[in-house]
Amino acid sequence: MGYKKIKKDQLNTFLSELSKDYTVVLPSRSGGQVVFAPWDGKNTDFLDWYKNTIIPPKALFFPPVEEMFRFRKGEEGYEIEELMPDKRQQIIFGIRPCDARALKIIDMLFADTYKDPYYLRRRENSLLVGLSCNEPCDTCFCASLDISPGQSEDVDILCTDVSDNLLIEAISEKGSNLLSEMSGLSDAGSEEESKAKEMRKSAKEKIARQINLSGLQEKMRSNFENREYWEKASKKCMACGICTYVCPTCHCFDINDENRKKEGKRVRSWDSCKFPLFTRMPMENPRHEKWRRMRQRYHHKFEYYPMNFGTIACTGCGRCIRECPVNVDVTEIIGGI
Amino acid sequence: MEETKWEPKVVGFLCHWCSYAGADLTGSARMEYPHNIRIIRVPCSGRIDPMFILRALQNGLDGVLVSGCHPGDCHYQSGNFHARRKFAVTRKLLEYVGIEPERVQFSWVAASEGPKMAQVVKEFVEGVRKVGPNRLFKDEIKDGE
Amino acid sequence: MENKLKEEARKLLKEGKVDYIVGYGKGTVKFRTSPLITNKEEDIEGLVINPFIANNLSRYPAEIKGKLGIVVKGCDSRSLVSLIQDNKVKRDDIVILGVPCEGVVDIKKLVEQIGADIDQVKEIDKEGDNLIVKMDGSKKTVLFGDVIFDKCFGCEYPTPLEYDILLGSEVSPRVELEKSLKKIKEFEDINAPERWRYWKEQFSKCIRCYACRNVCPACFCERCFVDVNIPQWITTYGSWQDNLVFQLIRTLHVAGRCSDCGECERSCPVGITLRSLQRKMVEEVKGLFNYETGVDKDAPPVFTHYEATDPEEFIK
Repeated sequence: MGYKKIKKDQLNTFLSELSKDYTVVLPSRSGGQVVFAPWDGKNTDFLDWYKNTIIPPKALFFPPVEEMFRFRKGEEGYEIEELMPDKRQQIIFGIRPCDARALKIIDMLFADTYKDPYYLRRRENSLLVGLSCNEPCDTCFCASLDISPGQSEDVDILCTDVSDNLLIEAISEKGSNLLSEMSGLSDAGSEEESKAKEMRKSAKEKIARQINLSGLQEKMRSNFENREYWEKASKKCMACGICTYVCPTCHCFDINDENRKKEGKRVRSWDSCKFPLFTRMPMENPRHEKWRRMRQRYHHKFEYYPMNFGTIACTGCGRCIRECPVNVDVTEIIGGI
Repeated sequence: MEETKWEPKVVGFLCHWCSYAGADLTGSARMEYPHNIRIIRVPCSGRIDPMFILRALQNGLDGVLVSGCHPGDCHYQSGNFHARRKFAVTRKLLEYVGIEPERVQFSWVAASEGPKMAQVVKEFVEGVRKVGPNRLFKDEIKDGE
Repeated sequence: MENKLKEEARKLLKEGKVDYIVGYGKGTVKFRTSPLITNKEEDIEGLVINPFIANNLSRYPAEIKGKLGIVVKGCDSRSLVSLIQDNKVKRDDIVILGVPCEGVVDIKKLVEQIGADIDQVKEIDKEGDNLIVKMDGSKKTVLFGDVIFDKCFGCEYPTPLEYDILLGSEVSPRVELEKSLKKIKEFEDINAPERWRYWKEQFSKCIRCYACRNVCPACFCERCFVDVNIPQWITTYGSWQDNLVFQLIRTLHVAGRCSDCGECERSCPVGITLRSLQRKMVEEVKGLFNYETGVDKDAPPVFTHYEATDPEEFIK
């Protein structure tokens, strides 16, 4: 199937058509920040200002706080009330290529030997419509991680902003089925196609920040005991959890039972290896010092994850660099090893 | 709505040396005061962490009374003086974020002041009754509440 | 100023008067500086002083062992003095390099003023009272006073009160307290249920990254009450109720220690208006006890001390 296109000021009708069968979630401004939120049915001005959200789209599948089930102590033992996510079909419109890749990366974990029903159900019920980046941020370094800001194989449908038009391309079968049902799209000409190609090329060239990955895992292994390096690298770190919570691939969580009298609930919430309390529940956090915790985070992303799943758990979205209160920069730290 | 049947449920943190003894005296003198209050005895008003107040409200109690010895009477000499400073800012902050000031009351009641204790509790409970049930920490806040 | 700093910092390291220099270095994000902590003379060249030095570095002395030469602005110096009052930092262990500060640029305000994305900005120069913002093929001039943090408007002590070396001439304070307290005053004008609803919305955004706590120099507890699990006061995950109670208690814990450096609000990744809470407490503590944070290193901290005449009209 070739490229389709729609006039940008017609996006409204396209989204309305999608809204019939799906909940459409797209970037919107709420409370002073950019978030993915259900579409209000009219506004499409995000095309003018949207770069990326601060809280990554992983939160749509793996929310910061999630009730897993409720329990109640009855006459004959415990009664369990399951709380699975509903089967509502949703479309994530405007996900960036880096974040789409990030979902592919954490899919490997959540669908590993243990299949996480909460995450997977939401994933199965979602369709990703990507939006390629024409103007990457100053903090982006996705190009070093084999991600093209303008292209993506990790979404179902990819949109590219070519001046007046949005070029629409089906990537997966799911996406192609959906597009074939849509009215109001016209076929794109070769002129638009070549324009999109140009855009993609120039977007990739605009990315100046790089991360040096050559021979990294080997280097990391031999640098592991280099306490001096990690102490220096972590000196300015404030040990807050921003980098882990804004990271599209960080996936650690904590599970707590919250009970009162005879009933309660089990809650899963995000957790961060940057906290001294991390893994304290089973016994003790073996990483008392800040530098050990920082080393853990980078080793997990750049050494253990590749070891377990064959891919680096970083997509170069640059959120951790941008949001860090003291500007700890992953590219500097990894590059310095 | 069963609003008419609603009775305020409040907690009183009373210091062991003065106010708790004061409340005891109220009882032994057979003076009546609203039974809406549940009393928790603490060693000193200086022991009251603002967290106690907030957690009580968060857990759905309608009001919190904190009571200790009159200034100068503290068994530990200065506990209530320190508490007084702490309460002054606590009160300002709670009011600032939108918690009705009637819900949190501070008082000095001596061991000999049985009637005062009854009076304080009575007035406090009436004040709480006026502002109504505490729905602050409920997930939905209805209009006009 | 920058050259004097480098010179002094080099001298301090060379003469062995300090083990580390804690200052500002060039950041890797546009127009942001980053803390530079070093014991090597060759790194000193990287020190900068510019209108973007937002971080409050006084968090570090309690954390880093050894003697420190530390660069502070007016507000930061008061945080530091407050830590000295609380016996968390020994005055003899630090050499204070004071920066007289005219205000720090709030990038968010700047972006609003120029109406363009920060990524498009190539260069920013300060010329007198103006900032010249150079973008691709265009140039914009904004008034410096329009793009500084709200806290800076009301700053009564722009020149550090406590220092060993002052890196420039004293700056006279801006007397725009009204502008600084504008948000708070506006907030007080709305009714109580609306105020509560406002905070409910704000704290529904909170993701409990604890940046507000971890960047705050006044948050020096070895184990924070939210990290205490027996008894567990606050759940480890965030419901808006718990988030709000956490922040209210934190606000009370740092009341009288907060110098209104604004780091909590600046760091918050989800944009909760935390300064409205902290600054309110600064006003209250001043009004009730006539106490200002960190202006006198020999004064007892406000809540470890009392007067027989303290206000108590609210107590029955």
